[in-house]
Amino acid sequence: MSSPEPIPPPNDRRGSRASSNADISVQDGNGVMVGGPPGSPSPLQIRASNSLNSKNRRRPIAKQPPDVHLLEYCHTPDSNLVCLICHSPFDKPVKLLCDHYFCRQCLEHAWAAQQDGEKTCPTCRSKVDVDKDLRPVPRIIETMLDELVVKCPNSKSGCDWSDQRANVHDHVMLYCVYTLVQCPSYDCRLHISQKDFHKGCLHYTVSCENCHTSMMMKDLEGHQRTDCPGRSTNCPHCSAEVLRLDFQAHVKEACPKVVIPCSGAVLSCTFTAERAEVASHQETCVVAKLAPHFQEQQARIERSEARLEPLSRRVGILEDGLSNITSMLYPANSEPSLPLSEPLDPTSLEAFPPAHLTAASDFRLSPNPFPSVPQNDVPQTTQPPFDSQIHHLLTMHDSLREEVSRITNALGELDGRTNMMIINESQRQKDEMLHTNAAINSMRMQLHWLMSATLSNRNAAGSSTARASASTAAASGSANSATRGASASAGLGNRATASATLHAPLRRLSDSTRQDTKL
Amino acid sequence: MSAGAKKRIMREYGECLADTPPGMKINFDEQNMTKWEVLLDGPDQSYYAGGHFKLEINFPNEYPFKPPVVAFKTKIYHPNVSNDDKGSMCLGLLRPDEWKPPNKVVAVLRLIQTLLIEPNIDDAIEPSIANEYKENRKEFEKSAKDWVKRYAK
Ligand SMILES: [Zn+2]
Ligand SMILES: [Zn+2]
Ligand SMILES: [Zn+2]
Ligand SMILES: [Zn+2]
Ligand SMILES: [Zn+2]
Ligand SMILES: [Zn+2]
Ligand SMILES: [Zn+2]
Repeated sequence: MSSPEPIPPPNDRRGSRASSNADISVQDGNGVMVGGPPGSPSPLQIRASNSLNSKNRRRPIAKQPPDVHLLEYCHTPDSNLVCLICHSPFDKPVKLLCDHYFCRQCLEHAWAAQQDGEKTCPTCRSKVDVDKDLRPVPRIIETMLDELVVKCPNSKSGCDWSDQRANVHDHVMLYCVYTLVQCPSYDCRLHISQKDFHKGCLHYTVSCENCHTSMMMKDLEGHQRTDCPGRSTNCPHCSAEVLRLDFQAHVKEACPKVVIPCSGAVLSCTFTAERAEVASHQETCVVAKLAPHFQEQQARIERSEARLEPLSRRVGILEDGLSNITSMLYPANSEPSLPLSEPLDPTSLEAFPPAHLTAASDFRLSPNPFPSVPQNDVPQTTQPPFDSQIHHLLTMHDSLREEVSRITNALGELDGRTNMMIINESQRQKDEMLHTNAAINSMRMQLHWLMSATLSNRNAAGSSTARASASTAAASGSANSATRGASASAGLGNRATASATLHAPLRRLSDSTRQDTKL
Repeated sequence: MSAGAKKRIMREYGECLADTPPGMKINFDEQNMTKWEVLLDGPDQSYYAGGHFKLEINFPNEYPFKPPVVAFKTKIYHPNVSNDDKGSMCLGLLRPDEWKPPNKVVAVLRLIQTLLIEPNIDDAIEPSIANEYKENRKEFEKSAKDWVKRYAK
């Protein structure tokens, strides 16, 4: 990039940069160096570091993969699968020529202190050529290692997952809610377990209200659950020892001495006593047994009513659309009396309890056809306004269908007539063609006769001059043109008039034949 | 010290608990797991019977690639234990050039026990005591028992 002639892209970039920001000095000798004084980082560098930061910020799920060496195993592993250096089951094991197995990482640690070319097997001290003597272990060993059951590395934080070792990576990286992730707060560099991620930054110091030890907020619950010396208290009602954290829940749900009402209170049971007594009362209280069903029904009704609201709104919208259509169809009739609501209202009043009246009054479409049909048979046959939209549509459909069949019939008729006409016409054409053919044939015959007559004439002349024979040839040419319908050329003597007289009767003949076919 | 090495020490402690040589007790502090305190009863068939000895096993940062360091905190009259404040021991697999990473602490504890019963004269750290052991066993026995009475009761 130090060439005096910069390649186009940087040149362009420099140009646009200089135009966009006049302050930026451009060191032309280099052609690339863009930015402020040499000591300050170039804009590119700043941008790069910014983007790196923001990338880290946007990916708070930068989790540490589990270290296989630190896993807890649920069962004591087979001693043949244990690395003699780390005393854990092998992690990515390799085999040396001397048939000793080690984790790759353990071998690297062991060899870190040894000189190149002097690496030895940690067990038997036989020399090892690092480039050649490392062998993969048999497949079955890998499989056995993968199948060892391990605990989640976050088990100390509370995760009770355990499964085959092959799955631990996925568990920690994808599923475990105790895995540490970067704190969601922008300027906090600490870590927090994934399950607390949504709570925001918990990295501030609080003091435990029970023992006055100060700690991070994120550790408070764990402390109050397991470590705090003052974590438990005696329930003032039943004097049982409970965790302070759980005290509210204990009083609300478990304490046998707290006075509560019978669960049938919603259905007017007035019994009130300590929880233990209430429990035995509820064994016999009929209302208490009904209460859950009652509550369930109640909830269901509430759900239904909640659903009704949007539905009735939708019906209203449909209703509007329908009346729009009606008014479009019958602009005169629809306006003065809404024909739809008239026959319906009494039936809707009978069908629904008063509570639903408001909803039902909008509800015109669905129950309509059935009650209205038996009531009035007469309007069904009358012209619009129809008693029902559906009848109207049906009638329209029928009339359309009739019209279609009428059109179909007419079309068929027309088709037949056209066919006849075509047949007749073509027949006539055919006849005419026959006549024309006959006329042409007779003309050919006459021409032939004429030609032979001319030839015999020339033979009879015998000693006539070359000029005469030339004129004969010209005469025969003009005769040819005369047969094609052109007028004969004058000034060629009697031979030309002869051809003209021949032509006239022929013409007459064809005219007469045409008149024949026309008749 | 790496997390892996700590893990190994933890595991070794577990193994030792399950398989402690008789007459030994290990005090293990999880906060400072690289320093084990071992309480050792003098073996019955040795000159140190009746004595209670305190040892310290220190694990170097490079463990298990370097041997653990064993020191008698209780004074003992023995050819393989240095006769000073340190009470250090350096022989057999405890020697850096002899140590192999696969060796275990249990093996070290067993070695110590064997040495109390049968000192290793060829590898002695105190040549005078070794000499005495070789040539004047009676005198050696007397001094050893005397030290047990004095320091290891
Ligand atoms: Zn290993
Ligand atoms: Zn080997
Ligand atoms: Zn987990
Ligand atoms: Zn934070
Ligand atoms: Zn506390
Ligand atoms: Zn209670
Ligand atoms: Zn009741």
